[in-house]
Amino acid sequence: MSIALRLAWRYLSGRKLRTALTTLAIVFGVMLIFGLNGVLPGMRDAMQRMMLAAIGEVDLTVTSASSAPFPAEVAQRVAEVRGVGAATPVARRTVAMPAKPDYKVTSLVVVGIDPATAYAVRPMPVADGRLLEERDDAPDAAPAAIASRATAEKMGVKVGDAIVLPSASGTTEVTLVGTIDSPAPPGSDELYVPLSLAQEMFALGDRITDVDAVFEATADRTAVERAVKDRLGDAYTIGGIATESTLAAGFDAAAAIFNVLGFFALAMGGFIILNTFRTVVAERRHDIGMLRATGASRRTILGLFLTESLLQGAIGTGLGLLAGWGFAVFVSGVLRGYIQGLMRMEDFGVVFEPQAWVLAVGLGMGVTVLAAVVPARAAARITPLDALRPQIGDVYEKAATRRAWAGLALIVVGAALLFVGSTGAMGLGCVLILVGMSLGAATAVKPITDATSRAIEAVYRSEGGVARANLQRNPGRAGATASAVMISIALVVMIFGMTSSVLGGYGEYAKRTTGTDFLLIPNNLIVSGGAVGAGPELAQRIRATDGIAAVATLRYAPAVVQGMTVQVIGIDPDEYGRIASFRWTEGSSDADLERLNRPGTVIANGNFRGQTGLGKGDTFTMMTPAGKRTFTIVGGGNDYINAKLPTVYVSQDALAELWGVTTDIMVLANAKEGADRAAVRAALEGIARDYPSFALYDSAEWQKVTDNLFAQLRATYTTLALMLAIPSLLALLNTLAIGVLARTREIGMLRAVGATRRQVKRMVVGESLLLASVGVAAGLVAGVPLSVFVVKAITMLGLEFPYVFPWSGMAAAVAIGLAFAGLAAWYPARQAAKLDVIRALRYE
Amino acid sequence: MAIVETKGLTKVYGSGETAVVALDHVDLTLDAGEFVAVMGPSGCGKSTLLNLIGGLDAPTSGTVVIDGREISTLSDDEMTRLRRERIGFVFQFFNLIPVLDASENAALPLVLNGTGAAEARRKAEEWLGRVGLGDRLRARPDQLSGGQQQRVAIARALVSEPALVLADEPTGNLDSKSSEEIASLLRQVSAEWGRAVLMVTHDPRIAAHADRIVFMRDGRVVDDTKIADAASARVAMERVGLL
Repeated sequence: MSIALRLAWRYLSGRKLRTALTTLAIVFGVMLIFGLNGVLPGMRDAMQRMMLAAIGEVDLTVTSASSAPFPAEVAQRVAEVRGVGAATPVARRTVAMPAKPDYKVTSLVVVGIDPATAYAVRPMPVADGRLLEERDDAPDAAPAAIASRATAEKMGVKVGDAIVLPSASGTTEVTLVGTIDSPAPPGSDELYVPLSLAQEMFALGDRITDVDAVFEATADRTAVERAVKDRLGDAYTIGGIATESTLAAGFDAAAAIFNVLGFFALAMGGFIILNTFRTVVAERRHDIGMLRATGASRRTILGLFLTESLLQGAIGTGLGLLAGWGFAVFVSGVLRGYIQGLMRMEDFGVVFEPQAWVLAVGLGMGVTVLAAVVPARAAARITPLDALRPQIGDVYEKAATRRAWAGLALIVVGAALLFVGSTGAMGLGCVLILVGMSLGAATAVKPITDATSRAIEAVYRSEGGVARANLQRNPGRAGATASAVMISIALVVMIFGMTSSVLGGYGEYAKRTTGTDFLLIPNNLIVSGGAVGAGPELAQRIRATDGIAAVATLRYAPAVVQGMTVQVIGIDPDEYGRIASFRWTEGSSDADLERLNRPGTVIANGNFRGQTGLGKGDTFTMMTPAGKRTFTIVGGGNDYINAKLPTVYVSQDALAELWGVTTDIMVLANAKEGADRAAVRAALEGIARDYPSFALYDSAEWQKVTDNLFAQLRATYTTLALMLAIPSLLALLNTLAIGVLARTREIGMLRAVGATRRQVKRMVVGESLLLASVGVAAGLVAGVPLSVFVVKAITMLGLEFPYVFPWSGMAAAVAIGLAFAGLAAWYPARQAAKLDVIRALRYE
Repeated sequence: MAIVETKGLTKVYGSGETAVVALDHVDLTLDAGEFVAVMGPSGCGKSTLLNLIGGLDAPTSGTVVIDGREISTLSDDEMTRLRRERIGFVFQFFNLIPVLDASENAALPLVLNGTGAAEARRKAEEWLGRVGLGDRLRARPDQLSGGQQQRVAIARALVSEPALVLADEPTGNLDSKSSEEIASLLRQVSAEWGRAVLMVTHDPRIAAHADRIVFMRDGRVVDDTKIADAASARVAMERVGLL
């Protein structure tokens, strides 16, 4: 082992508490980054599986560019292309399975196949019973289905059993006539039914969702793909089903946010590491002096400290990866139940992609080494003579004033950027303010603690002054600790600001757009993809129910605008306007609803406008199954359910004409004034029973659902805020422990001249409170622009919320600061009070 | 042959009215194998002289020649190399690395010079044997007495076979018995092992082990006397008023 490594290991193992605290700081940041990156890919994969269904082992899949159904004759056109061996039409839909009857699967891919052509494309070896035959596809045939043996076993059904599936008419019962040996793609259970049955179940008319094809054995795959593309034109996509790009983008955004939060945690860890290494350098001045005197070069000294930081980083990162794995397993366990309940999504596991490893290891090691570089370089710069002198002023303090000015300049520039108007400039401004405040923290320690110590001295009359003096004698160390606390507190304020504004805004959306007496929505809250719509008869039955005054429905189809998949929601402007409305923006109002009755008009939600850059009055082209069409935005409005995704609203007539969609995915209903609500509800429940993929809510229940959802989100974010504050607790603890150790002799002297153990304890607690006060004060100041920035950034994405000043966040931040100050002081204060006077006086 | 030669060596701290002359035109020569003690009241410039000769500090004017090389012309890296190869240091507070054992501490200069670990350890243990610590090779500094720690420091100073050993108050932190032992060991370093030893001390009994005593006052050399034994040392000290 090299001398540098040996020294590093022995120094680290010699100071166990400090090493543990410093290591914990790294562990925590790495755990957050690695753990969260381990949860998201699994969730994303499961989501994509759910949305995409399984393509299976075919050479080519054709879908429409807008992901909307298309005429079945396209299969014949594909089959005619030279080089294509066989092509078959497919109608594929993922259905969210109702909880009753319990088939042990949350979702199922129902694949409508043409028995005449399907097996040439995808061989299906029979395991039991028989395959689907052409007679099953006849108009009067009994509904039949086949499934892979594994799926049938999972669902607990066997050949001859009936299976109830959600469909546009409510439910459809099919009989399992056979099982096959071909394995289903991982995480996706498929049930095959005759094409005509699938088209009827999902109200597709004679349209299909895919064409699957295989090539001739000798065909040039690329040439055949190109030939198919040329034959079909731009309206079709070759290769696979279009991914649910919006959700994928959502996951990528979530991953980016979590990485930023993880980086913040590591940055706080960086301050702890910085403090530790500054202390280490101060402690080892004599060692450094001796080493320099005996011939160690500056490079050697730098190398010694960097080796120690590398070792510390490696240990912390290693443990952080381990903790991250545990964290990911825990979080995915917690989220699984929650998300599956919400979306009827497939199971998902913990997946660590290579970039998660690279990010976690790179940042863990990088931040540790980076934080150690400044003290290490300072150590290398110390002349042997300076190092050997018995008492030296802190070299770091010399630069404090210079750094404070630089910090002030950054704060001024950062504050100016807040008012430029662009979100990017505002984000940069926030970062500059945080960096500036960190740079100036050492200088701010004295004035802030001079002010805050008055309160402490009022309580701890005799000890408060000593606590203040102790803190102010090493402003560099106090400043670094306060910076870590500041980041924590700023994040707490930011998160509370975000939740207050966003959840408050969402509540307003919910009230305005779904605040009807009754609501029928799919189990899957996300409207696109897996939801099976209901045919018009559902709404008709509700309309015909006694006591119902008005009904409005929402219909769904996908489309492509500027290469991006968007939702098209079809509403009947007149009936929708009677019982609900949008949360209007861009100067739009209820009057604009009526304009949707004109052809070629849409109302766009904020998310759509944010992502496309289009606004009221603009014209754009949208890819529909009927080809490219031009639309004009006649209003800006958001509804609660679809606010998260880029959405345009068209009239249901337009949706039927251009997309061929006549199924409802949401039904809103208002009761007549004076109607017997309970009776109305009972009648609606009877109807809802026939549509198991739908759930019925009255306004109070719906309110409860949204309140629960918001409460869960609020709890999640509060937990996140608390977790992000943990490094500040470590920073305080680390600094106080270092301070007590460094002042051992002084504490011995104080005890010798009459200080009681209680007084010594109070000095440490007082110091902790003062230290926290600096961080909290700075964090409150830095947190407000951060919270404004986050809300503004969300608004830029199209989710428009009024900013709510985070008073609760401010209060929470102060409470967290005080609580952490007390917690952090507990152990060092106890150690200090327990010191043996004689031994403390002899301590070197 | 002179191992150390200083000419007009001057060190002034500060400037203008606050300037303090720590060393004032000091000329001093030290031959190979010679043991020289530097004595004088606190603040007379003893330690400054040692630091300038060891290249730990730069003179305001004058020259220092070590082993034929004028050190003021050397870069930081060259000076570091010279210290590593030609000069050994012994400090008042031992300055051992607390987390390394005796053998590892003594081997440090060789390890820093790139010598292989086994070879460095072998040489270190050989020197530790010579200074009487052959049985405490694996002991950490906190397991050794003050005298033993200083022996480790002396072994460390000698392990790279330097021409010159600089000792700054090497007995200042030891009891009288250990002080005598360390002084005898330094005597052995010069007389038997042929190194020039320049030692700063306050203690007349320790200085009496040297071949020569240089007396300083207010940054100047006021007396430079060869001594034969403790009695002649006593006479010299009385002459300059130290006793």
